[in-house]
Amino acid sequence: MIIVTLYRIVRFAWQGFWRNFWLSVATVSIIVLASLTVNTLLALNVVADSAVKSLQQKIDISIYFDPGADEATVLEVQDYLAKLSQVASVRYISPAVALQELRLRHSDDAMILQALEDLGENPLGATLIVTAHQPEDYPEIAKILDRSPYKGLVTEENFSTHRATIDEIIAIASRVNRTGLAISLFFVVIAILIAFNTIRVTIYTHREEIAIMKLVGASNAIITAPFVVEGVLYALIASVITAVVTLIGINGIQPQLQNFFTGTPLNLAQYFTENFFTIFGLQLVGITLLNVVASTIAIRRYLKV
Amino acid sequence: MINFRGVSKIFYPERTIALANVTFDVAPGEFVSIVGKSGTGKTTLVKILTAETRATEGQVTVGGWDITRIRHREIPYLRRQIGVVFQDFKLLPKKTVLENVAFALQVIGARPSRIRRIVPEVLKIVGLEDKLDRFPIHLSGGEQQRVAIARALAHGPKILVADEPTGNLDAMTSQEIIALLLKINQIGTTVLLVSHDQSLVNHIRRRVIVLDDGKIVSDQAVGRYRLE
Repeated sequence: MIIVTLYRIVRFAWQGFWRNFWLSVATVSIIVLASLTVNTLLALNVVADSAVKSLQQKIDISIYFDPGADEATVLEVQDYLAKLSQVASVRYISPAVALQELRLRHSDDAMILQALEDLGENPLGATLIVTAHQPEDYPEIAKILDRSPYKGLVTEENFSTHRATIDEIIAIASRVNRTGLAISLFFVVIAILIAFNTIRVTIYTHREEIAIMKLVGASNAIITAPFVVEGVLYALIASVITAVVTLIGINGIQPQLQNFFTGTPLNLAQYFTENFFTIFGLQLVGITLLNVVASTIAIRRYLKV
Repeated sequence: MINFRGVSKIFYPERTIALANVTFDVAPGEFVSIVGKSGTGKTTLVKILTAETRATEGQVTVGGWDITRIRHREIPYLRRQIGVVFQDFKLLPKKTVLENVAFALQVIGARPSRIRRIVPEVLKIVGLEDKLDRFPIHLSGGEQQRVAIARALAHGPKILVADEPTGNLDAMTSQEIIALLLKINQIGTTVLLVSHDQSLVNHIRRRVIVLDDGKIVSDQAVGRYRLE
């Protein structure tokens, strides 16, 4: 008998969906639009995050060694730094390469080139270029190096000089993230309220039917269940449409986006494809739960007959 | 079958007295017309009977069940024992004739085989066996009321309450509906007809209870109803 009851509930829901076709279309459309707003914000956050990350990746600090420091010791420092958890990579630049780069950089400055000729020997020491995982890690790396036995070998490190820039980038990244999160939360709340009210309006249009069902002896559960199942049906359809529209839209704007952010690797389509189940799965679960809760709450007031 | 003992209904905050100390009994198999002008408490009486509202004072029993202080969750069980027909038919607009009648059985958990057997039977009683797949909007007023009667009969209630069932119908169709109610009464169902239609009620020649200002002013075994 339970199977018969379940079958009837699903059948009533299915009939309700198709026999109120335009109401169903309106309800699903509003849920889709609300979900698309959330996805658009998610895409904007991904773009902002990529831009900030790319900016962060451009930061590094250079550690200049005394010209007298031998290569083995510098490589030892490189090894020491590379083992630090905060360090992403350490690049070694030998004195010869450093000189070559200096000549190249000032190839049109005859005075500098002449001065280097006059010196006769290479005045530059080796350089280590350190990239951290997070910009916030640079002060710590500088501190560790300062406390290390290798401190005496270092003639200069440019962390102090770049500190203001690094701090500014850290602040921008943090602001972008916080603003993105706040705006996203704001729109998620709006989307939830819109979807919630849409379901309420849908139930409201059925209020007389609900009263009739009560008058012919239907229990609250048997009246509520088909509306809840119909809500789940709305959620399923809305989620599928949202996923399709989002993926088509993202793939459509991807080339323009890449042109806009030249030099920054930004693949929104890939992001959405790789996180397909997380993004759209969560959306499906979220919308379904929302619809179930909204239907149950909205129907309660019309059951008091 | 139905017992009203000193039943009063007062609507607050206006303190409008809809029913005042109403007492009457309806025996099994009776056909009783409850008549009176508009606003005399007829519909309130039906609403108390179907637990849409509660009596302020007094006691109401249906088939021996005291429903005066009926619990909310027990209301569906009461309504499954009373078939109700309304003036505005109250059919589910998005369900066909067949589905509207079947719905009354589906909500009580009737088996599909029972539904397949009973629904055509009751639709035959009301003469709509050839309009099973029509939606209410495609039926005349009289046909819609017949569907409502078929639905009220579907779960085999001992009592059928008809609240102004002819209020929205022409004279000819009204006579047909009354004839149908009398036919249902003949098969053993207690019928309580609520109406303000003088000629209709007088034509039936059965028991008539007259309400005026919420009070019973007349209760005759073979009554007539005269508008003052």
